[in-house]
Amino acid sequence: MQYEDAEPIVRIRELKKDRVNFVLENVDLALANSIRRVVMADIPTVAIDMVEIHSNTTVLPDEFIAHRLGMVPLVSANCDEGIRYTRDCTCLSGCKYCAIELRLDVVCNDNRTMEVTSNHLEVVEFTTDSGSADNVQEGDEIAKRGEAFGNPVGKNDPSVPPVLICKMRKGQELRLRCVAKKGIAKEHAKWSPCSAVAFEYDPYNKLRHTTHWYEAEERAEWPLSENAKEEEPPRDDESFDFIAKPRKFYVDVETDGSLGPQEVMLKGLAELQTKLANLILALKPPAEMDIVPGAVDTGINGQTAAWAPVSGGAWDVGASRAGSGSPSRAGWGVPSTWEGTSPAQTASTANWGTTSPGQATNAGSWGTSPAHNVWAGNTSPNVGVGGSSTGWGSSSQQGWGSPNQQANGWNL
Amino acid sequence: MNAPNRFELFVLDDGEKPVEVTEDTKIPNAATFKVVKQDHTLANMLRAQVLSMPQVLFAGYKVPHPLHPYFVLKIQTDGSITPQAILEQACTKLIATLSTLEAKFKREFSFKDAEGAVPEDPYGGTGQAWGTGKDYLDF
Repeated sequence: MQYEDAEPIVRIRELKKDRVNFVLENVDLALANSIRRVVMADIPTVAIDMVEIHSNTTVLPDEFIAHRLGMVPLVSANCDEGIRYTRDCTCLSGCKYCAIELRLDVVCNDNRTMEVTSNHLEVVEFTTDSGSADNVQEGDEIAKRGEAFGNPVGKNDPSVPPVLICKMRKGQELRLRCVAKKGIAKEHAKWSPCSAVAFEYDPYNKLRHTTHWYEAEERAEWPLSENAKEEEPPRDDESFDFIAKPRKFYVDVETDGSLGPQEVMLKGLAELQTKLANLILALKPPAEMDIVPGAVDTGINGQTAAWAPVSGGAWDVGASRAGSGSPSRAGWGVPSTWEGTSPAQTASTANWGTTSPGQATNAGSWGTSPAHNVWAGNTSPNVGVGGSSTGWGSSSQQGWGSPNQQANGWNL
Repeated sequence: MNAPNRFELFVLDDGEKPVEVTEDTKIPNAATFKVVKQDHTLANMLRAQVLSMPQVLFAGYKVPHPLHPYFVLKIQTDGSITPQAILEQACTKLIATLSTLEAKFKREFSFKDAEGAVPEDPYGGTGQAWGTGKDYLDF
């Protein structure tokens, strides 16, 4: 939510390779919190998800090592386009389009303790099980990956200390095969691109959203945070303003290196918009039918035109996951359902006349907003994945794009 | 063994409707929206936006059980507009806000790039060892 119609303000105070510190102003607490939540839990990355141990004579048990491997951050830039979710892929249990294979093969021949680190992990060509390669749908995912995609973060970079996996003595051996997959942190925290997200508002606690426990003197026992420099200290004679709302948020997003801070923030905002767009579309079919009688021709024509491209793009998100031929989509594109329902709704015409213009303008402003491009960008890999979904998109566009027929039907 | 796939917490099942609208029979101009496979991230943001709109008398949400991946949002309006329409407007407004935010972020990031603060490495990776450089948290 915007704060009293004032434009939201973003000011980046510090930008480093793995972190960004910014101040967010004129937004609602709920929106700022949603941004925090979305960057922590909803952005896809790749992480090791399956480990096949061939030989492990180290002191650590297999599952211990497998867990440690899962935590290793892997470079996941452009994960949206570079890799599919295994659950969406047509393959049986992983292929080069939805998984990355890493190998670890270390033997200690020295008399000293040897450290096995993430630098020993090597990305190799994906080895497919025999027989499952037939039904893999080809894609251009691999071309969209960066050269380091899937490698442990900071591999072969002497300035980055590698992640320690285990220690070995002379004669011990560790050989294993890992399969890294794409996922989000709601499934497992190892897929979170963020290692820490700091979020603060109201450093002086003027709003009394929290209570400071103290022994003798509150101010002496609760040191102010650095962010307090950004705000006016409260005067002693100031009375409590119980209507005041927080409006300035201090956020520090630190990533684990799998994604850069810029990608994390922009993907996060895009993801929130996708969530909202999908909700609008889910609300749309019944709402549209209600509006039909009130909106007559102009409203409905304008609306369908504005909405068509959005619906084509955004539905593919759900559609490609659901697989081909989901019944809800089929019902949607068929104009006959509309005609069937519209006469029944005539009773509500009067009420609806007032609201429909508002709807139409909203839809218009929406189509032109940059947000729209973002979804298109987001959903395009899905379009590429399913030949069926593209086919659907184009055919439905035609159905949508010819409202004249429908309008004629209603006018008669 | 028989544990459900964890992605079922956020991926819609085959043919599952993302939202279910129930109009309230006892309260005028009120409706309850059951949004599946979504959590506080979407719910709280929507609640706040809907509440800020003048036609709304009541808006609230709950996640009835932490293991059930859905939330319920209840909206009552003053009758000049239906709850469905107001929710849609709220979504549209939020999207507009987010896209302006996004544009501002892009601009800010490009300024920082121009300053040469960060040689942006598109493939991630931290070029810096732990503990070097001064953090804003070092006070």
